[in-house]
Parts: sequence; structure tokens; C-alpha cells
Amino acid sequence: MSSVGHIEIQGLTLGFKNFGMVNAIVENISLSFSAGSFTSIIGPSGCGKSTLINAIGGHYKPITGHILLDGCEIKQPTADLGIVFQQHTLFPWKTVIENVRFGPIQRGIGKNDANEIASKYIEMVGLSGYEDYYPKMLSGGMQHRAEIARSLANKPAVLLMDEPFGALDAQMRTTLQDSLIKIWDETNVTIIFVTHDVEEAIYLSQKVVVMSRNGGKTNNIFDINEPFPRNKGEFLFSNNGRILKEKCMDALAI
Amino acid sequence: MGSSLSDSTNREDLHSAIAAFDTKPGSPGKKSDGREKIRLFLMRINWLAFVIPLLSITAGLAAWQFLTESQTQFILDFSNIPTPVNVFHSFRDAVVTTVFWRDIYWSMYRILVAFAFGSVLGVTAGVAMGYSNILKLVIAPYIEILRPIPAIAWVPMAILIWPTTEESIIFITFLGAVFPIVLNTWDGVRRVPNELVKAARSLGANRVNVLFHVVIPYAVPNITVGMALGMGSAWFALLAGEMISGRFGIGYFTWEAYQLIQYGNIIVGMLCIGVLSSISTGSIYYLKNKLVPWAE
Ligand SMILES: Nc1ncnc2c1ncn2[C@@H]1O[C@H](COP(=O)(O)OP(=O)(O)O)[C@@H](O)[C@H]1O
Ligand SMILES: [Mg+2]
Repeated sequence: MSSVGHIEIQGLTLGFKNFGMVNAIVENISLSFSAGSFTSIIGPSGCGKSTLINAIGGHYKPITGHILLDGCEIKQPTADLGIVFQQHTLFPWKTVIENVRFGPIQRGIGKNDANEIASKYIEMVGLSGYEDYYPKMLSGGMQHRAEIARSLANKPAVLLMDEPFGALDAQMRTTLQDSLIKIWDETNVTIIFVTHDVEEAIYLSQKVVVMSRNGGKTNNIFDINEPFPRNKGEFLFSNNGRILKEKCMDALAI
Repeated sequence: MGSSLSDSTNREDLHSAIAAFDTKPGSPGKKSDGREKIRLFLMRINWLAFVIPLLSITAGLAAWQFLTESQTQFILDFSNIPTPVNVFHSFRDAVVTTVFWRDIYWSMYRILVAFAFGSVLGVTAGVAMGYSNILKLVIAPYIEILRPIPAIAWVPMAILIWPTTEESIIFITFLGAVFPIVLNTWDGVRRVPNELVKAARSLGANRVNVLFHVVIPYAVPNITVGMALGMGSAWFALLAGEMISGRFGIGYFTWEAYQLIQYGNIIVGMLCIGVLSSISTGSIYYLKNKLVPWAE
């Protein structure tokens, strides 16, 4: 249905320069994320998940290889590639609504229209009534929701999420997982979702990519064919769910 | 000591909170309500915090009065120093003259002009240094060389360079203000978390908008600290300039009082300088709290 938001990764190597030496983090990986799909990436901590997400978002240059958005090389960050970072990144000097309307205003939308868009997404993430709060007045979970709203308000073709629910309690996590599925359903955005929680990955996504500890190899990719809407408890404890979980765990252990 | 004081205030707060909770409208205890409120009010005032400073100042004034009236000459020479009562009389006489207010006007005017230039230039240079490595390398050596030179040392140079004394005094005052502002702005800009810049870029902001919507707002608390420090050293520099080469100004007023043997006015001038300088620094902190309600 949707035709924008296809990400193609070809022979990608990423790394950081250390005293002139290049220290490769992710080596020669190729992946494809079709438009409107929901993919999770899991892997042990330090394997390069955040590095990969940042590179797709245009923040790191590949050492070799290409990252393409709908056939065009990603050279720098753009509003089409929304990111929810692992760290909190709301602007502390802006209120919730000022944060959320920041993207639309940057794209040249007038203040009134931007406010309208912002209100819509604030409502979508369940933060109505908190428009005029500063980030420091919100709980961690509410800040994550505001960050998701801020990314969505730009109507990005791709939403990159780096362990967005990592620091939340189980109940808040379930609530946000369900709203994310709903948002994905409503907006048709391509979602690439990094997590270290196998169950979360299986429950949410159509495809799970397991990154390996060394060189971020992505040889293990599992399709999750369970149709949406899914029932979390039923699906995860069904035969199919349990087998998928075991496969992912085995792949992680390598 | 500090903790025990705050402990007792907390307990009083709790006490009054419970009292407020207990009194329902129309309850039997209504008659004693007023007295109870007054009692709680009196309990809340930290009397010691008033009384001790008051006693301390009174003792100081008494010592001053004694030393000056008896014209004590023991190491220090108090024979020419006015008594507190004399100072009060000098003050009463000074405030009705236009000269006194004209001097205050000139000092405030110089401070405002110099501080405005110092802020604009200081913030611009600080942001430039924090945002661009090349500009940092261009500007930093000047700051490293010039910053340790006290503003007073600039007086002869300033008089030679500027066409009028007025301009040289403003220049010296500007030098007092600008360095703390540059350094604190630079420091604030350097601390901007990379993630905030990345987030703004991913939301479609270009480099200019990142500067104005992320980098500068992030540095505002540091900038205001720099401005408050700059205001303090601007006053320091202003008085040096006014005393050495001024013809108006509160610093000149104080120095002239010495030369004209109006010794009471020396102390009137000193106290005025103290008040004006704390008002100007205080108003910066006031503005800071208005400007950055989002900070702690
Ligand atoms: N800015 C950086 N400079 C140098 N090395 C980095 C930087 N960021 C991350 N790394 C290194 O890259 C590796 C992968 O990090 P990261 O992508 O954050 O892992 P993950 O998100 O999977 O936990 C780690 O070994 C980390 O130390
Ligand atoms: Mg990470």
C-alpha cells in the first residue's frame, strides 16, 4: 500500500576512528526493510545496534557500502528519517507542544497548523493535558511518548527507534507497545525497532534481525508470520511463539 | 547547624499543614482560630535570622561611632573618619543635590552601554568559539593574553586610544564585562549534548536553526552566569576609570569627596556603589529566572 520508506543496506561497514585507526563495529552487512514494514533488531549490548540506527538516520558516514532510502543514498539527517534516540532528547527549554511542533515548524509549516498537528500526535500518544509541561516535569515514560510524538509529527517515511522502552516498567512498556502498533497501523510508517528484549521483538514485528557480537553480522533473520492484531499473551505462549523465541535466543547466544 | 535549622522549618510546615487540615469550617474550635493562626505565624518567623544580623550591625555601628568620636589612633587612624551620624547627615544633604543624582545617572549610563556591548560581543565570540574550531583557534589566543590584564591596567592605553575620556571609561568598563561573558558562553556552548543536536537535525533543522534553537538556548543558563560575573567586574572597572579620569559618576563623586575633604561623602559614595552594583547583578539573576523557567 505505501510506496515510500524502503531502506536498502548494501555491503555496509561502520566504525569509529581511534587515533587514526578505524575500528570497525559493523562489517559488510546487507539488509532490506520494505516500505511500511515493522522490523526489530536484537543483539547483545555493544554489538553496534545504536551505531547502525544512527547511520541509517544519516548521522554516521559508512566506511564502505551504501544506505538507500527509496533508491537515494542517505547523506545527512532529514525529516524523512525520524529517530527516537536511546537517550532522552526532548529540548528541556521547550514545553511538550513546543517540542512536538518543532519538526513541522522547521519544515516551514505555520505556527497554527503546526500546533494542530502537534496536538493530534500528543493525543495519539496519550499526553493530552500535558502540552504546556516542561520535560523535567514528566516521568520517563511520558518523555518517551513525547519523543515518539515529536518524531511522528514530521510524518517521517521511516521511524528508527533505539531501545525506546528500555527503561520502563512492564506495564508502561505494554501500554506503549500497543500504542506503537496502533500508530504503525494508522500511519504506514516503516519502523526499525532496536531492543534487547526478545519477547518485545517477536510480539511487535514482522521480521526480527539478530545482530552478532562480533562485526554485527546479521545472518539470522526470522520472519514472524502471525497476523495483526496480535494477542500478546496468547501469541508468545503459543507453539509458534515459543519456537521463535528459542530460535532468537539460540542466535543471540552465538 | 544548617540541617537542624531546616529540620525545624519542616516541622513547622507540617504542624501548620496539620492545623489547616484539622480546622473545618464551622467546627467548634472557631473562636481560637485567629489566635492560633497568629501563634503559628509567629512560630514560622525565624526570629534569630532577624535579630542576630541586627545586633551584629548595631554593634559594628557602635564601634565605629566610638572609634571615630574618640579619634582613636592605634595603627589605624580614625581621626579623619566621619562618624555614622555624620555620614547620615552627608547622605541627607547629598540626596537633595542634582550633582549626586547626575553622578548616579552617569555611572548607570556607562554601565548600561558598556555592558550591552560586552554582552553582545561576548556572547557572539563565545558562541563562535564553541561552534567552530577554526574561530576558536583565532579568538582563544587573544582571550588568553588579554584576560589576565586587570581593567585598571588599561586606563592609560584607553585614554590614548579613544578621542574622549567618556569613551575611554566606557571602553574600560566594557573590558571588565566582556571576558567573563565570553568564557562562560563558550563553556555553555561546548557542553551541548551531541544527542540534542542530532535530534534537531533529524527533525529537519539546518545548521543555523540548530544554533538558534538548540545551542544557544542550551547555553543560556551559563550565559546568564557569565553576565552576572561580568556585571560585577564591570563595576570594578568603571570605578577605576571614574576615579582616575572621570568628571562625573559615582566613582568620581567618591574620589572628589576625598579631595574636597568632604569625608562623609566618601562613605555615602561607597555605600551607593555597593547598592547600585548589587541591584544590577540582582536584576540579571531576576531576568535569568524569568528567561529559563525550564532549568533547575
Ligand atoms: N562515538 C563513538 N566513538 C567510538 N566508539 C563508539 C562510539 N559510539 C559507540 N562506540 C563503540 O561502538 C560499539 C557499538 O556501540 P553501540 O552501537 O552503542 O552498541 P549497542 O547499541 O548495540 O549497545 C561499542 O563497542 C562502543 O564502544
Ligand atoms: Mg545502543
